[in-house]
This record gives sequence, C-alpha cells and structure tokens, in this order.
Amino acid sequence: MMRTIEILLVIIIITSAFIIASFYAVLPIPRRVSPINLRRLALTTLQTLDVDYDLSEIVFLPENDTLWGQLQIALSACLPPNVVYNLTVYEVQSGSTGELYLPIKSISNAESLGIGSDAASYLVASSNVTFRVVPEKIGEHGGGGTLYILNCSDANGWWITGYTAHTLAEDLYNLLSPYFQITIMVQNTTQLGQILNGTSLQGETVQGAVIINTCGEAVPIPAGYYSSSGVGYDTGAGSYALYCYTLGQKVREHNFTWVSIVGYPLYYVCNTGLFPNQQNSWGIYGMKRVGAAGLNAFLKGLDNQSYSYDSGWITGSPGVVYLSSDSMYYANYYGIYPSPYQTATRALPSWITSTYHLTVTTYVLNPVGGWIPGAVFRNTGSGSLFALGLTRTPDIRLTVLGLLSDYKPRLYRSEYTATGTSRLVVLQLGLVGGV
Amino acid sequence: MAGSTIDHLVSVTVFLGALMLFIGLFNQTIQTAIIYQHHRVLAVKCSDLLDNMLLNPGMPIDWGKSNVTPTGFGLQDPEFTQYRLSPFSLMRLQSAVGDTVYYPKTGQYYSNITVGFGNFLLVPFTEAINYSLAARLLGINGTYSFQLTVTPVVTVSISKLQSNPLNLSVNVKGRGFPLPNAMVSYCFITVKTGGGAYPSFTTDYGTVYTNAEGSAVLSFPSVDEDNDSYVLIAYAHLSGLIGVGYYEHVTHDENYVVPFISDFEERTVIIAHSYDVHGGDNPAAIAYNATFVLLTEDFTLREVPMENSTGKVGKINYGEGKPYKTITIPTYNPGILVITYKKSAVETGVVLMPWGISSLAFPVVFGDDPSSSDWVTTDLRQVIVNDIAYQAKLALWSLEGYQVIG
Repeated sequence: MMRTIEILLVIIIITSAFIIASFYAVLPIPRRVSPINLRRLALTTLQTLDVDYDLSEIVFLPENDTLWGQLQIALSACLPPNVVYNLTVYEVQSGSTGELYLPIKSISNAESLGIGSDAASYLVASSNVTFRVVPEKIGEHGGGGTLYILNCSDANGWWITGYTAHTLAEDLYNLLSPYFQITIMVQNTTQLGQILNGTSLQGETVQGAVIINTCGEAVPIPAGYYSSSGVGYDTGAGSYALYCYTLGQKVREHNFTWVSIVGYPLYYVCNTGLFPNQQNSWGIYGMKRVGAAGLNAFLKGLDNQSYSYDSGWITGSPGVVYLSSDSMYYANYYGIYPSPYQTATRALPSWITSTYHLTVTTYVLNPVGGWIPGAVFRNTGSGSLFALGLTRTPDIRLTVLGLLSDYKPRLYRSEYTATGTSRLVVLQLGLVGGV
Repeated sequence: MAGSTIDHLVSVTVFLGALMLFIGLFNQTIQTAIIYQHHRVLAVKCSDLLDNMLLNPGMPIDWGKSNVTPTGFGLQDPEFTQYRLSPFSLMRLQSAVGDTVYYPKTGQYYSNITVGFGNFLLVPFTEAINYSLAARLLGINGTYSFQLTVTPVVTVSISKLQSNPLNLSVNVKGRGFPLPNAMVSYCFITVKTGGGAYPSFTTDYGTVYTNAEGSAVLSFPSVDEDNDSYVLIAYAHLSGLIGVGYYEHVTHDENYVVPFISDFEERTVIIAHSYDVHGGDNPAAIAYNATFVLLTEDFTLREVPMENSTGKVGKINYGEGKPYKTITIPTYNPGILVITYKKSAVETGVVLMPWGISSLAFPVVFGDDPSSSDWVTTDLRQVIVNDIAYQAKLALWSLEGYQVIG
C-alpha cells in the first residue's frame, strides 16, 4: 500500500512538473512564428514613395496639408489592408552633444499598432543640400525661347549612322530643355507644317524659335501644301529644292534658327507617306535626293532672293578641324565636353556670308582657309542657319554647345545651406486582425 | 507477503502507465515546439530568399537583355540599387499561369502572360528561365519550393461610359483604395480607316487629374465607335506611386496580329497571323503597321519612330508557305509596341505588347503551385520596376516535411 501511495505522490509531482513546464513553455502565436518582415516592408514602402523624390519634397513641407493628404492616400494604397502604420518625421539637429531628433509631423491610420510592430527609418535630404545649378531660360527676357526638336515619326534620317532621329532627339531634349522656355518634340511632318505656318503647337511662341533637324542630311517635308508644285516642288527642274527655298523664306519670316547637325544641309527631303516607294539611292525609303540644290535654295530663301535652281556643290572638305576658343570656354562653363578635334567634310564656304548677307555670330569650330566647318550664320534681315559640316557620325554635344555658345544663357548656382537639410522619416507598421 | 507483492505490482504498473502518459504529453509539446521552430526557420528563409532575389541582378548582370542562360538568379535592375527590378529580367521568367502557346511556323512553345484580347506577351521557352533552373541557381532545389508573384500596386482600369460621343472613364485605385487627385497622362491611338496599303494611325496625348472617387473622364468626340479601332494607354501618378492601364476597341477581331518575342538580344519580335496560332473563322491576309511608345521622365508618353528597315509595316497571311514577319524594337528602354492592323479599309484593329514587363503593368507569377503544401510562408516587399510601383510576394514551403519521432 505504501508503494502505491508513493507512486501516486510521484504522479502528482510529475503532473505538477508538467503543468508548471507547460505554463512556462508558452508557444508563440502563429503570427509570430511566420511573420511578415515588417521592417523590410516599411523600408521598401518608403523607398517606393521616394522614387521620384516625392517623399523628400513632402517631409520638408509639413504645413502643406494637400501633399500630406496625398501621402496618406499613397500609404494606404500600397500597404496590405491588415497593416496599419504610423509615419513620423524628425528634424535632425547637430550639436556639440551629438544629434538631436525633434518630431515635427506624424500621421497614422490607427490608434495603436496591434500587439506587434516593427519600424524602418529613412533619411531624406532637402533639395537645399544638393548643389544645384539653375540656368537662365533663353527667351526669358523676350524674343524666342522655344526649342523645336524634329522627332518626326514619318521621316527617316541620313548620315546619322549609329543613331535614330529619335535617340538624337531624346538626348537633345535632355541636354537643352533646361535652357529653353519650352521644348517641343515635333512628332510628325504635319506638325512641322504647322510651325512653318506660324501656328503654335502648345501655345508656345513660334517667332524666334530654334528648330533642330535630327534627320541629318535629310529634311522632313510635310505632305500637302509644302510639297505641292510651285511651293515645294520645282516642276521645271524636277526637284524638291523649291521646298528648301520655301523653308529658307519661312526661317526668315519667323526669325527661326535652323540647325543642321551633320553633313551637307538639306541634301534630301524625307516623308515616308509622301515617298513610300522612293529611296535615297542608298536603300533608305521615304526619302528623295535634292542634292546641293537644297542648300543653295535655302540660302536664297533666307536672304529673300528670288528662286533659281542651282545644283552647284559649295561645301569643302578641310579635314581635321578644332573647337574654337569660345567653344572651349563654353564647354567648361556648361560642362559639355565633345572631342576638341573633329573631321569636317561638308564645311560651308566663307563667301556665302557676303553673297547671302550672313554674319557669323558664333564659330563653334575654327575656320580653315576659306571654309567654315561649324558656325551660326545670322542673316542681316532675319533668320539664322547653324550648320555643322562634319562627317558622320554626329555628336549632338557639338550642336548643344554651339547653341549655348550662341545664346549664352547664364547659370545661377544655388547656395549650399547646411542647416535643416536632413530629416528622418520613421515608418512603423503593425499587423491587425488574425492570431 | 502476498499483500506487499500486490502492492509492488500495482505501484509498478501505475508508475509505468503514468510514465508512458507523461512521456507522450511532454513529447507532444516538444513536437509542437519543433514544428513551430521549423516554421520560424521557413519564415526567415522566405525573407532571406526574397531579398536574395530582389537585391542582386544575377549573373551576368544584364541577363534580362540577352539570350544567355544566367549562372546566378537575381531580378534587380543592374543600373540601380535597392529594390528596383529589371523589367527585362522579369519578362524572361516563364509564367506559372496562362496556357502555353505553340506556334507551328517556328516550332516553338511560348510562355504566355497574355492579359485579355490584344495584350500579348509571349516568350519562347528557349529564351525563358524556367522554375527548376531558378531553384537550382538559388540553391534550394529539392529542399524548398517557391512561388514569386509581382503585381502592380496601382490599378488603372478603363471602362467605356458612352459610345457616341466616346467617353472613357479612367479609374485609379491602390489596394482597394481610390487615388484622388492623381495625375493621369494618356496616349490615345486611333486607327485610320480608308485606303492605303498599310494601316495608319493618329496619336493624341493629354493629361487629366482624377476626382475624389479616383476617376477621370476622357472624351473623344471625333471617334466613331462603329468604324474606328482605338487604344487608350493611361499612366497614373500620385506621391511616388505610378500605375498604368489600357483599353482597346477593335472593329475586326477574326484576323489579327499576334506578336511573339523572338530574340531579346537583337530585340526582334515575330509578327504572326492569328489563324496560325489560335485558328478561327474566315482567315484572310492582313496588313500591319507597328509603332513604339515609351513613358518619359515627366510621365508623358512619347512615340519612338521605327525605321522602315526594322519591318514596321508589312502584310501577313496564314497557312503554309506564308512566312511570318519580324520587326526590331528600336530601343532597350521599356515601352509599348503598338501594332495596328487592317483586313480591309473598314476592318481594323490594334494589339499591344509590352517591351519590359512594367510598360503595361503586367503581373508576373513565377514558380511552383503552393496549393497542396501543408504550410506556406509568405513575405512582401514594395518594389519599383522602371518607375512603376509593384509588390513582390514570395510564397515558400518546405519539401522535406517535419517528421518528429514520438
């Protein structure tokens, strides 16, 4: 009997041990066993919201309720429904005793963050901390200010080997748009026709605009009026040189600056709809050869001389040419560094300045003998031609440098400010619902 | 003596019985704890594996833009840091959903991420990265299985409100949450009816803002619903979140163009006749005209001209002896290939193909099916794919089981 009692005592002891062990050996709730990594989710959410520096902008504008409302909407929109948040912005102040974090703004979508939460912090910098350069806009003080980049989907290019007109247009846009009041990509030849008519595309100032032809030696020609007989087509000569003449007249009429980025200017006309079955004799369809008559006609139109068909070749090939000293200076000023020496095979002759009443306002490349490989020619009346008579492949940095050297927009360098330049954003996430 | 023996026997029996009972009880607790520990390890592994996929570009780093088989698996965009994914690496993943498509003229099977009529993304199996290769490269082959889902955060849905005049409603939502005051930039492409060997089109661009309900109405009074085919592509932007949506209307869908990715490195796309892919009624030759649009940094859409030499226009026919056509995408920037087609002057249509998964906010589902697994752990990250906000979710489960002796 005694042993049975002893055993019962043992059982009681073991039962007590089991109960006590079970009491202390608490298994975690399933949510903690297999949790979502809230810290990472918070960090990636902050990074997503700051993809275009939107978050950086908002945290420095704590009084702007509209932007903070949008931030709340964006947070709610990108987090799962069972995740609640608290976002707090701290001002970072540096002192002799270390850094001090002062809360300046907080938003949340719940009173508490549930039984478990995690947070990630993200340091954003004010735009003041960045060394910024704000360029003066061309046309800011009157006259022009519009840049048209021909990005015509219905026009092919020639002598832009290795590029497409679009890629050149894209690069030109990125490089030049900060310097102009408005930059417009001309998407097709119809829009080009509108500009030539003096009609604005987006309410911009047409007069005094710069037009960059990204098609190289080819020039887009609009169908219809500008390609019709007597306006664009010279029936007698069987040539579209007349279009180049009309173009020259329009450049004069609207005081445009026409930019030819490479090769012999206006050597072909191109429009895939107008010339679907014609090619430039090198296999590029949608293009028709005008030859040297194009440039001659353009210069006559620019100088308001009467039209006559002249197919005489006027350019020369001086070979290796060098950036002018002015260009070297402005290359440094604007931070654009093309190769200082280039190869010119289509340099314009210097005699055109007297024949067509042109003044060279900017030499991009040094003249060689009687040849001007790259310069801006302004007619004494109105209108300009910027021609780079270089061999392919084009370097559009030269085009950019030439235009900037000619217009000379100033660069305003903003001051570096050291105080209040950093803020810490802490996003705390919590899970609600479930077990 | 007998009493003491009986006492002994009873006590030993009770003791052994109690001992067995308590061993079982303790074992139960230990088993549960071990299984919990396994689940905890699985959750940590899931988080690590997801970071491993999203924070390295793989090897070679530009495998998404080439035809090579990677020797390291990773989806990060090599031109960026942090959680930015390559739209091209995602495009090369063999989809776990969508029926495989066979195209007899190339003799190849294609991974299919098609989202409704006219929105195709078909990648040949020979170019796509399959799940078993990814698992091997991640070092989890035979131990863990996973499914990676990359879905857009912002949903831009477009519906027709009225046919004449044409009014389209653009609705912008987050995770079930409308986005008011979001900037919506759109590109509206209308296929021109009438003569000409190839279809031509006009493009209109514009920008509007959503109202308090997250919707904006776009009106196109010049469009004749009965005769015009058109497509609307809309990008929405709010506080760093960017989403994209599209809507198509075609007047002819018996014969249409099906684009297949042919070569990532050369950026070539096969233009196939729908009858050779899906069959159908009344097959006939069709002419097509392709163009490429991309999203610029200022959130507007821009057309990228395609040169004739890239095969932007052509005619395709069905059946044997009628070869497919090939076009070349002009750039490695992500964008949308828009192909307009026509059977006759009044029977036209348009199809889209994203170049880079993000251009049309296509979702990606890659990996195994978790539905038959005992315990699946998931983890989430917000990611950016070419500026479009996505959410990457990894579901992970063990293939080894949790056998506990007891």
